[in-house]
Parts: sequence; structure tokens; C-alpha cells
Amino acid sequence: MTSLNLGDTIVAISTPPGRGGIGVVRLSGSQSRPIAARLLALGADFCWKPRQVFLACLTDEAGEQIDRVLVTFFESPRSYTTEDMVEISCHGSPVVLQYAVERACQAGARLAAPGEFTMRAFLRGRIDLPSAEAIRDLIGATTLYQARIASQQAEGAISRRIAPLKRQLVDLIALLEAGIDFADNDVDIPSDAEILSRLDPLREGVRRLHASFAFGRLVHQGFSLAIVGRPNVGKSSLFNRLLEQDRAIVTDIPGTTRDTVSELAALCGIPIKFIDTAGIRQGQDPVEKLGIERSYQAMADADLTLVVLDLSSPLTVDDENLLQHAARCGRHLVVGNKCDLPRANEYAEQLIAVSARTGENLEALRQAIAEVMGVGGEFAQESGFITSLRHAQLLAEVVSHLDRARQAVQEGIPHEMLLLDFYSALRPLDAITGATTADDILNHIFSTFCIGK
Amino acid sequence: MFPASTTQDEYPHVNSNLESLKWGQVGMMPNLGRSTKYDVLVVGAGHAGCEAARACARLGLRTALITMNLDLIAQMSCNPAIGGIAKGHLVREIDALGGVMGEVADAVGIQFRLLNTSRGPAVWSPRAQCDKKRYRVYMRELLEKEPNLRIIQAEVADLWIEGEGNQRRVVGVHLRDGRSVCSSTVVVTTGTFLNGLAHVGESTYTCGRNGEPASELLGQQVRRLGLRWTRLKTGTPPRLDGRTIDWSRFEPQCGDQRPTPFSFLTSEITREQIKCYIAYTTEETHRILRENIHRSPLYSGQIEGLGPRYCPSIEDKVVKFPDKLRHQIFLEPEGLDTYEVYVNGMSTSMPIDVQVKMLASVPGLEDAEMIRPGYAIEYDAIDPRQLTHGLMVKTVRGLFFAGQINGTSGYEEAGCQGLMAGINAAQFVGGADPVVLERCEGYAGILIDDLVTKGADEPYRMFTSRAEFRLQLRIDNADERLTPLAIRLGLCCAKRKELFERKMAQKQQLRRWLDSTRVDCNELGLALDDRPTYALWLRRPEATIWRLEQRLRAVLGEPPVEGLLASLEVEYKYAGYLSQQERQVARLRSSESRRIPTNVEFSAIPGISREIAEKLSRVRPETLGQASRIPGVTPAAIAILDVYLSLSEIREPTVS
Repeated sequence: MTSLNLGDTIVAISTPPGRGGIGVVRLSGSQSRPIAARLLALGADFCWKPRQVFLACLTDEAGEQIDRVLVTFFESPRSYTTEDMVEISCHGSPVVLQYAVERACQAGARLAAPGEFTMRAFLRGRIDLPSAEAIRDLIGATTLYQARIASQQAEGAISRRIAPLKRQLVDLIALLEAGIDFADNDVDIPSDAEILSRLDPLREGVRRLHASFAFGRLVHQGFSLAIVGRPNVGKSSLFNRLLEQDRAIVTDIPGTTRDTVSELAALCGIPIKFIDTAGIRQGQDPVEKLGIERSYQAMADADLTLVVLDLSSPLTVDDENLLQHAARCGRHLVVGNKCDLPRANEYAEQLIAVSARTGENLEALRQAIAEVMGVGGEFAQESGFITSLRHAQLLAEVVSHLDRARQAVQEGIPHEMLLLDFYSALRPLDAITGATTADDILNHIFSTFCIGK
Repeated sequence: MFPASTTQDEYPHVNSNLESLKWGQVGMMPNLGRSTKYDVLVVGAGHAGCEAARACARLGLRTALITMNLDLIAQMSCNPAIGGIAKGHLVREIDALGGVMGEVADAVGIQFRLLNTSRGPAVWSPRAQCDKKRYRVYMRELLEKEPNLRIIQAEVADLWIEGEGNQRRVVGVHLRDGRSVCSSTVVVTTGTFLNGLAHVGESTYTCGRNGEPASELLGQQVRRLGLRWTRLKTGTPPRLDGRTIDWSRFEPQCGDQRPTPFSFLTSEITREQIKCYIAYTTEETHRILRENIHRSPLYSGQIEGLGPRYCPSIEDKVVKFPDKLRHQIFLEPEGLDTYEVYVNGMSTSMPIDVQVKMLASVPGLEDAEMIRPGYAIEYDAIDPRQLTHGLMVKTVRGLFFAGQINGTSGYEEAGCQGLMAGINAAQFVGGADPVVLERCEGYAGILIDDLVTKGADEPYRMFTSRAEFRLQLRIDNADERLTPLAIRLGLCCAKRKELFERKMAQKQQLRRWLDSTRVDCNELGLALDDRPTYALWLRRPEATIWRLEQRLRAVLGEPPVEGLLASLEVEYKYAGYLSQQERQVARLRSSESRRIPTNVEFSAIPGISREIAEKLSRVRPETLGQASRIPGVTPAAIAILDVYLSLSEIREPTVS
């Protein structure tokens, strides 16, 4: 009801947006320590020493390391907000910072509203400002935020995408409510089949919108693409082809690229960082070894890896190792280069055959990249995709409540309880586009059904 | 119950010792002189007035109920039925609080049906067709049994008010016959009587209710009081002579085999039960209405007031839903010893000749004779946002409003407000804080909070969808929610208290047993390695508490109190949903606990738009939660208000 839940633990990136050397994620509230402990995979018995910096690992859900970070704990009341606070200094990649915030939210924190840390500090008497000015500033912060949300609501693409989904949900709620409140009228009780036939497309719509977040993030931040392969399969030629310029040095001496080379380009309007890597083969000179190590690192960091094979020569142990490694690293595409030459390669799995030399099939490769990254597919066609983490979280909530509702329908749960799930699904949509009241639902019923004896 | 000290100080010549009052025989008119004084006056003896007057009398206050016609107390002016979806909940709550409506309906009900039984128990709602004449006779008898209550037949000409502006207080009423009656507390429950104007086709006449005279003097004065008021409209269908209806043409609708009473005190319904009948309009009916639509005062512009959309007239239904080929109507006898039949679903203000044709177009009603035509009535209602949650006018101390005059429709909504206004009038007399029910405690709380927060643009009727916490607000637990309050207030009779306490003791005992005992697998046909507690077993879809009835009886050593097993079943079976809702209740409570000081100047808060500040000033919400429910007040404004309140608390920690 009130948007100022002062009891929540809040989280935000507290350094300016964009890439910097270091970015700080800040938590404030009574749950700061347990939440941070989950992000940093610290044991339950971890001893938090106030005001001492320590080194820790930011991990993903599986406990895999994402970043090495410096952590400082401030114990209540000796902190900026007078609450328990934890500051996590990460390497400044926006992706890492955003990820830390997302994980904190999963662990129970709430995304802070702009100015909320200051507001808490002020409300708790931590900072003292001349009163009138303070009110204006604080309220300014709140209203600016709300104004921005409101303008998004009023005309933003996001609300255009959400409005029809919300209408479908309100329709469904009104249908069920009419069946309850006007059961003694000439109103039918909706059948399970009818409920599901309305629920499923709605859920799919919300899910797609939620899925567009990944795309929205790509639009804002772009993605990185590493090109790997053993020496002399034509990685750099491919890199240049994709960039349509001679950026990397290309010779036919194996091992020409001794370090990773990266370049920015755009694909379907999405910024992409192409990374050309040193060819990977077993142990050579120390410089090349270092390059190879960096190639592996690039594969690990990249959003997508292109594993390049030479179609004109047989598959080697190096190729096999590389393919296995790529499979472990995540999203990757296998590209067979030199398709203009007679094929001597026995690789049987799916690959995209191209020729970096002639440019043959390059367009198919671009499309495959776009497809695998979700660019240029369904979302690029549609005007609205979501870019805000807050919206993404709200939509995820909607999906999970609709899933529960679906299960409840199948279990034959009475409608007044089923409606609890639907109202729970409506609330996050309300948070984006404005509240739906009981009167709105009734208005809907009266305009849809002939009610009244 | 309440110390009469306040009254004594104000009226030292009145002896407040009830025992020593020599008021003559019960039910007789007291000797009224200029100095007659009561603790509470109730103006109007409809469904709100009866509850208000009886509650005050029960709470030990010398109470007078003033009505324009002694013989029409608790008249069912429209449909002779009590309850229905959400309304049945209200009646249960009135009963649980010690009100009378449920008891009266149980005594005179002639067809009981529990509605919505195909849904879960939270939305089951009792309804009863009642014998209209017996209802009012029974109510009058009940009221006449109250030693502290006097019933006076008179027309109140105006409210006697002293003081200026916001310092005004009520000191009594002036009667049209020249007498005056003193009281520091007056509850106005005048229904549709204030400036009532009936419409039948092109003709209009002033009236209060079904041909009774309107209360014009009081109507004029209430307008002069400076209260905001509005014109509302409601309507009623024609009544037919049952002897002229071809009953064989309709589908009968029977009552329940085992009637569900309204009152927790009623163990069984014994009265003879009747059938109602379902009929349908025809295309011919619709044609007649469409052709004459220009003669409907609703469409000719003759009616200004706003009518309820959930209870449209038949002409409205035909115009607004042209695709619907037929509309359902119900033929409901008005009593056991009358032929008068209520045509439910045919509310109309068409001219009489159109009404006659329209009725004759319904198969089975070709020869039906109309006893009374349908009509629409426009009346003054006050803007209920001028009332506190205790239903007292914010600007006139001691003046309470309850019932249809507050913009509601329905006997149950009226009765519920009457009871709460009565309770709060008594609190006021005793100098105690008002009794305010929360939205999570009952539909009664929702009703009043909605009224004082949102006002009523159209006659307000209760729906279960208005309840955020519907699963908690069931008919089976109305006593659990509200009877403790009735006991605290002194409104609960000994029988109810005993019954309630026994039910709660039994419930506790059964809960302990169900929580701790593992099931008997043979008895329930379960695999032997699967031995959940009964509590866990009850959560399974196929489980029902009725299979345990014998066992539970044995555990208790006596039969369980009526309704207890139903309550337990819901609470175990849907524990997940209930606890989800309880968490929401906790959230509501936290924002309800944030009080807004009465002296806050909303327009002076930076960042709140003038439009929203006006909305806030109009309602003057008492809590942040209430503020957030005012239509048009945005979450942003609530956040600002929240910050502002936090700041003022820091700066002035003593602000209450």
C-alpha cells in the first residue's frame, strides 16, 4: 500500500552508470548480511567484522565465481543509513553489477527507489539538512522517479505492450468475479476449459514480454562474441569479414594473432564486441601460450563463441578439445570455414559452412548469430521490449502467479481462491501501469454482463 | 453498560438510574413534554433505525425511536427477501454483533436458499424470502420488548442544532406537531424519505416509500445544514395478484431441503416453506419496451438521480443488452397469507399502460392483474464522506447518519450501518472512542470504510469482490470475528455468549486433536506406510471432515456446535490460501496503523498536486491506508504523504 516500506532491505548500484574501473553495489537494511552472504557464498557462521574490507567472490547460483570483489560491512547504527549496510566493490562491468543486484533481489532485497538511501539516512536523523529544503529534495526525488514511471505508463512502449495483457487478465478476473457475485443472476460459471483457454495465451504474452528483457539488455549493453579455433583455420579472416574491414593481421603463418584483438560492430542495430583470439594448440612459445590462455579467458567471458573449423583439413585433437571446451562454456556456434575448398573434414554435427575468403554464406552466419542471441527474431519486430530490471522482476512475478493459477485450475480449487492467484498476478502489472481497484472490476462486470434482478 | 455520567452532567434533572425509572408500561407512549430527554434519538424505523435503536437500548441507554407510521416499522419496501450473495454475509455479521435482522428473518423466512454452494465456503451466502407482513410485526414486537426503548409516532420537522460551523452539536429534534425532544445524540435513518419523488411514466408525486408521505421539512433542513448531498434513484417492480397467474407455465424454484438460518442462535427453521417461480421475458416484451422507451422517465431526462447498475430496470436491460433474447424474472410470493406476488427482475418506471402490456407479454402472465405498479424513486442522499468511520457527521457532534440516506441500497447494508451507528452513538454518549471495524474483520468494516472513503456515486451495494480478504470473511466464522466485540460492548445476550464460548472451546479441542493425531489408515483406506496427521490428510483434495464426524463427536463427548466442522474443514483444506491472505492482512494493518493527524493541511504538502490535495481534504482520511483507497490518489502522492508524516513525526514526536 505504501511505497516506502522502510523495513525492507534495499539494494542498488551506487556508482554512476556505464563502465568504470570499479562499481559499487550497496545493500541497506536488517537483511543485508544474510543477503550478501548468499551472493558471496559465505557460510552461515561467517564472522562479519564491521568496517574491515575483505576479499570475496561474487558467485552465481551454482556457486561458480563471477567476479572477485572487495566487501565492507557497516554495522547499525554506524552506517550512512543507520541500518546494517554491505558495500560490494566489483569490477566495473555493468553486466556484473546488474547481476549482483539481480541476485540480491532474488535473495530478498528490493530495488531501491532513487534517493532512497539518502531518504533513509535523513528519516533516521543521520543527516541533518534545513527542513524545508530537505522535504523538497526528498519529495523531488520521489516524484521525479514517479513522474518518470508515469510518463512511461502514459505513453511508453512498455505500457502499450502491457495494457492488452492486463486487459486480458482483468477480463478473466471479471468473468470469475461475476460468476461469484452474480451467481443468482443469469450469469454462467466459467468452466475450467474456458479459464485455461484465456489463461494460456495471457501467460504466453507475459512470458514473451519478460523474455524480451534479455533483448532489451542487449540493446543497451550489447554482447561480446569470441572467435576461437586452432591456428590458421581463418579466424581473423572471418573476424575481418564480419567487421568488413582489415582489422586483424592476416597471414597464412599459423599463430599470427598472438593476443586477443577486439573490435566493436553492430548486428541488427545491436552493439557487438567481436573478439579475435590467438589460435589454440598445444604448447608453443611462451608468448603464444599467454595468448592461448587469453583465448580461453575470452571464451569464458563472451556471450557467444564461434568455434571455427577448417573444412579443407581433417579434424584434429586440438579441434576436438576446443569443441568440448566450448560446449562447457555455454552458447556457441560451430563455423566451418573454407567451404570454397574441397571438404576434407569429417565433423558430422551441425555447422555453418562459410568462406571467409569469398564471403560465401556470411549472411547465413550473421543470421545464425542474431537468432542464437535472440536478436532480429520476434522481439526486434515488436516495438516494445523491456529494459528495466524492475519491470523484468515484476513480469517474472506475474508469470509465476499465473503458473500457480494454472495449477489451481487443474486441482479444482474454488474460484474465490483461484482469484487470489489472479489478483497476485495483477498487482505487479498494476505496479507498472497503475492500480486496478475493486470498482474497476465491478465496472467491467456491469458493462459485460446483464446483471440485476 | 455505559456510565451515564455525561448525560447526567448535561441534564442533571434526568435520573440516569434505569432501575428507578417509572416509564409506565412497555410499549406505551411516554408522556412527552418540552423537557423530555433521551440518551439517544433514532429518526426513522426502517432496517437501519430498528438496529440502531435496539442496540442503544440494549446498551442501557434511554432511547427513543421516532417513526412516521408505527404500523410500518421495518417495512420491506422492495423485495421481501433478506440476504443474498455478500448481503447474507452482512446479516451474519449483524447477528454476530448482537443485532436483530438475522433473528427476524429466521422467524419469518418462507424460502431459504444457500447461494453459491458450487463455489468454496468463503462465498456461500444465505438468502431467505420473507413474509413481508410478519417481518414488520415480528420486528415491532421485538422492539417493544426492550425496556429502554420508546417508540414514538411523529414526523421530525428538524434537527435541533446549536453552535456554529465545525463547533456545532445536536441537542435534540423538533417534531412537526410542535413538541421537541432533547438528546445529545441523534441517529438519522430516514431512507428514501428526504425529498422523495416517485416516477411512474410521465407522472411524478412526492413520496417517502410506497405511497407514504415524504419527509419534506427534514429534507429541506438537511440541505440547509451545509452537508453535501446528491440525488440517487432506485426502483421497484410491479406486484401481481397470484390468483391471476398461470403458475403451471413456470419452472418452480424450491428452497433448500435443510434451510441455513442467518442467526447463530437459530437451531432450526420450522416455518412452512414455499416455492418461487422462474419466468422469462419474450421478444414481444422487449419490443413493447423499446417502442415506449421515450416515455420512460429514465430516458426522457425526467429522472436526474443515478440508479444502481447492478439493479437496472427492465427497460435499461433491454436497451443496454439488445443481444440478449430473454431476461430471467422471478415470481416471489410476498407472504403466506397474501396473494401479492413480487416480480423480481422487472423493476420499472414505465407508465402504467406500458407496464400492463409488458407483463401480459410474458407467457403465463397474460391474464395477470397488477395490484401495484412499479415505480422509480429519486431521493436525497448525503455524501457519506462527511462522516467519520463511526458514522458521525464530522462537523456536527452527536449527529449520526445510517442506512439508505448514506447512499447505500439494501436492507442488509442499512441494518449493518444502523447497528454500527447505534453502537457508536452509545460510545459517544459514554465518552468512549468510536468502534471501527477493519476491512479484514468483516464486510461491515468494508461497507463503512468504502462509504466514508469513496462516497457513493450510485446506490452502494455489497459484493464479495469488494473484500480484499474474502477468504477470511466467511459466514461460518462471523461469530469468531465479531462476537468477542459484542461481548466486550455488552451487546451479546447470555445465550449467544454461552454458545460462542462452547464453539470456541470445541474448536480448540478439535484442532489439538487433528493436529496431533495420525490417521487410522484402515478407516480412510490409505496405504499403511502413509500415516499423516488428520490435519495434513484434510489438505488432500479427496479428504473431507465429514468422514470424521463420528470420531470428532467422540473426541468432544458431545455433538459439535452447528457450523464448527464446516469452519474447520475450510481452515485446514485451504490453509495455504488463507495464510497467503493473512500476510496481506498484516501489510494492510501496517498502513492502517499509520495515522494522519487531523490538522494536516494537505494543500501545504509540497509535491502533492492541488487536485489530489482536494480529494484528500474532502475525505480527510484517518490513516495512510484509507488515503490510499481514495479514488484518484496516486501511489506517488501516498509516498509523499508518507515521507511528510515521517518528517513531522521526527520534528514533532508528540504529534498524535
